[in-house]
Amino acid sequence: MLPVLLGTVPFGFVAGVAAVAAGMTAVQGIALSVLSFSGIAQLVASQLIAVHSPVVVTVAAAFVVSLRLLMYSAAIAPQLAHLDRRWRAGLSFLMTDQSFLSAAQRFGAPGDASNRHWHFLGSASTLYVTWQAAVAIGVVAGARIPAEWSLDFAVVLTFIALLVPAVRTRADLAAAIVAAAIALAAAGLPYRLALVAATIGGIAVGFAIEAARRGKAR
Amino acid sequence: MSALSTWLAIAGVSISTFALRASFILFVDPHRFPHWFRQALKFVPPAVLAAIVAPGLAIPDGRLDLSLANPRLLAGLVAIAVTLRVRNPFAAIAAGMAALWALQWAIGRLG
Repeated sequence: MLPVLLGTVPFGFVAGVAAVAAGMTAVQGIALSVLSFSGIAQLVASQLIAVHSPVVVTVAAAFVVSLRLLMYSAAIAPQLAHLDRRWRAGLSFLMTDQSFLSAAQRFGAPGDASNRHWHFLGSASTLYVTWQAAVAIGVVAGARIPAEWSLDFAVVLTFIALLVPAVRTRADLAAAIVAAAIALAAAGLPYRLALVAATIGGIAVGFAIEAARRGKAR
Repeated sequence: MSALSTWLAIAGVSISTFALRASFILFVDPHRFPHWFRQALKFVPPAVLAAIVAPGLAIPDGRLDLSLANPRLLAGLVAIAVTLRVRNPFAAIAAGMAALWALQWAIGRLG
């Protein structure tokens, strides 16, 4: 758990800097983080708020980049089904890439399963507190960092650090290349619709290549 | 962007992330989740992240610039190369920022 906690600190710091750089007040930047608790959603929302996108576009883009949470929700739902609604709502709110992976390992292990939600709560809430502290430092520091340092580029670099390990198969690579190409070719579209078009195009190509591979293997 | 629309965006983003997290845990039976949909969702991370990274590197000032005179593109390639070797987000951010500062300084000296 400790390496995971340390790994989120620079990411949270960058998310805090990005919120202030986008023109949000310190209170707005911290509110976005405390309420949404998702680094990628926070960074994408900050980027779109920075270019004065309409609210609907900002929300739609954050929704699209957060679709993976749907996948986690489906995977972990059976293990939490015995809990009451309040527990399930609380654990839903706290679920992130890291706590999902940690909980998935724990739930998959043999032994008594009745108290494993306490492990989920403990690891997820520790991560929550660490994340918010990192974002708050970024929000405070971000206002003092001069523009010539190009710290906005750290946001792109953070996404690179997430992108590279997310590309594991040829189908993943094809999805990434097609999405990048559409994002550049469609950059002139209004309201940053290129992001949504590129995501859908990338998913379609990755899905088609995977389906063709499965067809051949059969 | 006005204060009100920023707050509306914050509310909308927060509701979206919660709704996606709670979707199957709280609202829908996961057994009604079609297999093809799960297969398609696997490609969300590479597609979304590449769609964010590409313009961040290749469109520095609102115009496509795939030339070697674009320091962000070169610094991004350095960060990708470093991340392929060292799976550590610190390394990618440190190497990319160092490369960008060095290139901006070099271009400033030449120009």
